[in-house]
Amino acid sequence: MLARALEANGVATTSISMVREHTEKVKPPRALFVPFPFGHALGRPDDPELQHRVLRAALDLLGAPAGPVLRDFPEDAEPGVEPPVPRQASSITPAADVAVDPVAEVREFLRRHEAWRAKSGGRTAFGLSGLPAGRFDDVVGFLQRFAGGTDADMEERPASVALPGFIRWCADDLKTLAFEGYLAMTPEAGGDEIARWFWGTTAAGQLLRRVRDRLDTSADATWKAAAFGVAR
Amino acid sequence: MSPRLDRLPEGNRKNLLNLPVQTNETAPFARLAKPLAACRVAIVTTAGLHRRGDRPFGPGEQTYRVIPADTPAADIVQSHTSLGFDRVPIMRDVNITYPIDRLRELAARGAIGGLAPNGYSFMGAQRELSRIEGETGPEVARRLREDGADVAVMTPT
Repeated sequence: MLARALEANGVATTSISMVREHTEKVKPPRALFVPFPFGHALGRPDDPELQHRVLRAALDLLGAPAGPVLRDFPEDAEPGVEPPVPRQASSITPAADVAVDPVAEVREFLRRHEAWRAKSGGRTAFGLSGLPAGRFDDVVGFLQRFAGGTDADMEERPASVALPGFIRWCADDLKTLAFEGYLAMTPEAGGDEIARWFWGTTAAGQLLRRVRDRLDTSADATWKAAAFGVAR
Repeated sequence: MSPRLDRLPEGNRKNLLNLPVQTNETAPFARLAKPLAACRVAIVTTAGLHRRGDRPFGPGEQTYRVIPADTPAADIVQSHTSLGFDRVPIMRDVNITYPIDRLRELAARGAIGGLAPNGYSFMGAQRELSRIEGETGPEVARRLREDGADVAVMTPT
């Protein structure tokens, strides 16, 4: 739909499509359907050759004389190598020996995250909350107080960012510290393995469930929306 | 490896099926006036990406963010509000959704004329699209033309 708006205003577009049923109806001007899961639009991370083949196939559509064009990317994954879709928190039961101290735990996440940054050349998805990683033991304390029902807040919350949005970004950054720290230890881990570890065994996972619960009990629509973005 | 609707968790499947989808008969079509090797290419994504430090996307937000073409890959983050997709690939490699390094390589080889000075990001998977259709989408089109972009490669989440 956005592609159609750009094309109607004079910009030639070529789109990567991941839901063929939608693309068939919407009819963007040029679309390459790819057989990859969400989160994998260009095929596989750290596989520049595959990414180049996908990009080349998308750019080749610009040679079509008329549209709409919908072509299928010819490659599929090797059989048996399909990454499972990461499960949501609600479908993962906490283990009997789930960790209980989220503040001690986040300090361990931070140590692992430093290892991640060293390996990744500084690449990290961290940084939505605006708070530096070194403050995240305080952030976890704030989230605990919030989950406990108090009028919790942090003085670092920018005036322009409402509390539920700030909580959402803190939750995202906490998950990033945890997930990327896991990747530093187990580089080949996929999203489903990490999701099962996070929601099933970590104190942070249990804390975010409680944060979600408090947000979700509010009558305020912005709190409920934030709940939906913290855990599901 | 397709995200076929039958393979998704039930909540994701229902959300996807319930998203508003236009049914169109034809498509607008802007022909390229020059060969690809002479074209400036921009990336436009609906994956909720932006530079670290930019205001993150909130729920239902139909605005866009500008990502200058010289933004290092390490400085691009994702604040898409949906939880329905795997975030680990983009933690590993931003090119999985925003192929900026791949386009730089194509420019270096002469396969494309160059990168346009800016990429743009929206947030996708939205129920309400009227602002994108009527306002912010056309605004980005104008900015792309002002940037001298000939082609936009569109990537989803």
